[in-house]
Formats: sequence, C-alpha cells, structure tokens
Amino acid sequence: MSAEFELSRNITIGQYLPTGSVIHRLDPRFKLASFAILILAIAICGTYVGNLFALAVCIAMFSVSRIPLHYGLSGIKPAIPFIIILALLQLLFYGEIAEGGTVYFEWGFIKISSESIRLVLVSAMRFVEVIFLSSVLTLSTSTTELTHGMERLLGPLEKIRFPVHAFSLIITIAIRFVPTFAMEMEKMMKAQASRGAEFGTGEWWRIVRRTKDMLPIIIPLFNVALSRAEDLILAMETRCYTPGSARTRYTHYKAKGRDYLALAISIALAAAVLAIPW
Amino acid sequence: MAQPIVSVTDLSHVYMEGTPLAHQALYNVSLQVAEGECVAIIGHTGSGKSTLIQHFNGLMRPQTGKVVVNGYDVSDPKVDVKSLRRQVGLVFQNPEDQIFEKLIGDDIAYGPFKMGLPLEEVRERVEWAMELVGLSFEEMKDRPTYALSGGQKRKVALAGVLALKPKVLVLDEPTAGLDPRSRQELLERILHLNKKEGLTVIFVSHNMDEVARLAERVFVMANGRIACEGTPREIFGNREILREHHIGTPESVDILYKLHDQGYKVDLSAYLPEETAAEILKLLRG
Repeated sequence: MSAEFELSRNITIGQYLPTGSVIHRLDPRFKLASFAILILAIAICGTYVGNLFALAVCIAMFSVSRIPLHYGLSGIKPAIPFIIILALLQLLFYGEIAEGGTVYFEWGFIKISSESIRLVLVSAMRFVEVIFLSSVLTLSTSTTELTHGMERLLGPLEKIRFPVHAFSLIITIAIRFVPTFAMEMEKMMKAQASRGAEFGTGEWWRIVRRTKDMLPIIIPLFNVALSRAEDLILAMETRCYTPGSARTRYTHYKAKGRDYLALAISIALAAAVLAIPW
Repeated sequence: MAQPIVSVTDLSHVYMEGTPLAHQALYNVSLQVAEGECVAIIGHTGSGKSTLIQHFNGLMRPQTGKVVVNGYDVSDPKVDVKSLRRQVGLVFQNPEDQIFEKLIGDDIAYGPFKMGLPLEEVRERVEWAMELVGLSFEEMKDRPTYALSGGQKRKVALAGVLALKPKVLVLDEPTAGLDPRSRQELLERILHLNKKEGLTVIFVSHNMDEVARLAERVFVMANGRIACEGTPREIFGNREILREHHIGTPESVDILYKLHDQGYKVDLSAYLPEETAAEILKLLRG
C-alpha cells in the first residue's frame, strides 16, 4: 500500500545498479556484442534442453554481476499478460501450421500437437531469458556507456549513410528521460490523488471510465514533456549542438583481454545453446 | 498546547528498502501541530521534508512510527484515505503543472466532483475557493487555463485543493519561482486562510523572509531528523542554531546581526521587519 505511488523507484529500465562486478567493467562495445550474440542464439534455439541451458546461463549471469535476482523477476511481472496471450494464440493456431509431432487433440481448426506445445513452452522460456539478459545488461551498464557502445558498434553503417549519431542520440534521450518522466508521473499522480483522484479502482471492464481517470495525469504529463523538450533543445543549442556536423568524442574505449574473453565465452555459450539437439 | 491536529510519533522511512539502493529519509521524527497553527518546516534539500509531508495525507504510509491527522490514523491500513485527503489538502511544488482542464472553473471543480457532491454545491465551493485565492468567480471561471500567468496558475491550483475544504493545508514551497508581486499576494492569501478561515497551515520553505512573516513555529530538519523546533524568535535569535544548521536569516535579522557585530546594542530576538525598523529607530534617536 505504501508503495502505491512509488513509480520511479520501480522502473528498471534505465536503472543502473553499480555493484562493480566484472560484467559492469566490461567494455560496452564488447558487452553489447556478447549480449546480442546470446540473444540471437536464444531467438534461434527451439529445443527444450537448449533453452533450459540458456535459462541457467541467464541466472548465472545475475550472480556473476552481483545483481539480486529479484530485479530480473520484477522485469518479468509486467510481461506476464503478453506471455499468456502469446501462449494461447500459439496453442490454438500453431498446430495447424506445424508439421510432424504427435497430435493430442483436434477440434475444428484447433489442433494441439507436441510441436505446438513445444513452441508454447520454448517461447515462454525465450521471453524470460531475453528479459533476464536485457535486465542484466541495463542494470550493469550506465545509459551513457550503453549508447556509446551502440554508436561505436553501428559505426560502420555510416558508410551507407545511416545516421548513426542521430540514431544513438535519439536512443540516449529516450532512455535518459524514462526515469525523469516516471518521476513527473509519480508527482502528478500524487498531486491528483491529493485532490481526490483514484487510479485503477474502477471495474476493469469499464474501460472508458478507467481511461478518463488517467486524463488528469496524461494531459499534464504531455505538457511537461513538451516544455522539457523545448528546454532540452535550448540547452543543446546553447552548447553549439549542430545536427549532422562532425563531432569528436570525449570517451575512448580500449579493449582489454577480459573483453575478448567475454566475447569468446558468449560465442561458446551461444554455440552450445544451438548445438544441443533435444 | 491546544489539541494537536497533526501528530507524528517516531516516524521513520526507508526508500527502496531491501535493495542495494536503500536510503533512509526519515529517522524517528516526532512533531505536533495544533489546530489553527501556522508552522514552517525548513531544511536543506534531501533533509526529508517532502517525505514527511507526504505522510500527512496518506500518500505515504508510516513504515515505523505513527501519524495521526485529525483523528485519522494513517498507519492503519484500513483508514479511509479518500476522506483523509479531504481533511488534508496537499499542494505540491509547482502545482500549476497539475492543471489539466481547459477552463479554470472545471479544473477547480475536479476535486469536489470526485467527492460526488451535487452540482449546486460544487459550484458554491468553486466560487468560495476562487474568491479565497483572489480570482473573481464570474470573470475567471470560463477562462482557458493555458492563457494564465504563472502566478494566476498557481492560484488556480491552490483553489483546486481549497475546494475540498480541508482542515489542514500543507504547502510545499508555495512561492518558489513566482515574481515578487505574486509571491507577496500569495503569502497574504495564505495568512488570510490561516487567520480568518482557521485552516491549520504547514508549509515547507527555503525563503526565510517568508518563514519569519508567516510561521508561528518552525521545525528545522536535517538529515532526516527534526534538528530543532521553536518560534521564529527563538530560532532566528539563536546564532548557534543558525550556524549549526546553515539556516539563512531573513533580511530583517541580517541587519540586526550586522549592527550587533559593529558594536551597536540591539535586541537580537527581534525578527519582524517592523521590529527591526523600531530597533534602528531607537539607535538613530540615541
């Protein structure tokens, strides 16, 4: 109950938990590449054992980075409805498309086979794994490091005129302002609650009413967002930011042995996840 | 002291308890505010003022300790929060941000409507609240909110809380960011609410001139504790307290201390501008 309005403190995106572990100290370029490889492997892997192995790796990741596991678990909570809806759709409709496997149940176009059950379980596991990995990544990397790393990794795309710098700036700003707006929203909710507003107390099927209940927060939040955007533009322009002009960089990264090692371990783990045949 | 309307006993609060980012904002805070009093809470950023005042209307619940406001026990999980929030009007910093309706009158009517009052009474309350903050009901109620000046917006926001007819008004830096004239006017309105309408007023401020002018009692917070409390006369007249807690002084007190340091004999317990003027006159006339 007392945590009713504690929004900004519960948002894990963009939250950085400095524990100083070896994962925290990795070169962000290598860290991003390693995590990308692992996530790719998880996305491809369709086997039970492979996914269980990947899940174990993800959980091990938390202990190596010295981040309490409940941070990862709290990231899963909001995703549960999606996982359930996805699982239902897959269970109902995938059997029709899937080839092979034993059919357990058939009724009209609904066909539940061992293949569709596999897909349901595997994609639920994938979801959890990806959330775990991205939680570890964001909790162990400050947003500045994250965007610097990304900008460097995408660097080669500049050759095909991809606006790498603008892109990474957009991402930086977006991530940077998530906690800020969460704080603004928290303040707004508290202010309106002080005048008698109630949130999320109406019956869930009265969607119109529940949406209307949110207006006293949404409208001021838009206002604040727009004026903050204006301030940001001014602040950037007074410091001579010019879109598209060449810029030098303040931070330089130099890869160390452990960065190469981390990359090698990730490749090995990814290969293992994919090589497991069951 | 008269019957306390706000009573806080041994209140502690830890943010993000049980995580590596845990941070204790309040340590065993106790304070009492009598009905009809006007008290100021001062202290530096991060001293726990905002955390404390959010306990007054149940936005935060005591983790340990007790908060009782006008007979409502905030620590009781079954307390009627809605009704508590009608007793305690909380006005946040920059409250003009919370205005969301197109027309002034509608925005002020939001709270009373949420209380489920009949239209006639809502209208009455809006009129009452608007006149209290110095906005003419007939003239202003159908004006768009976006066309207002900063000072007027703040009045609208204040009226939006007053329309709940609270017994206790809690204000977080009510005059921050206002121009001198609006500041002056708002202070007079708050004083009027306290003296004439009998509202208990608790306000947080960094402006010592304001504190000297409004407050009957001052609580000084430092590092999540109440470092000391007293009348403005006691606080501003005690240089040790001022120095220890890095409290600024109203200009009227500054002048007296400067005169004192130059060797003039002045009464250091004076703190109101009029008193200071009287002291200076006394010196001039020898």
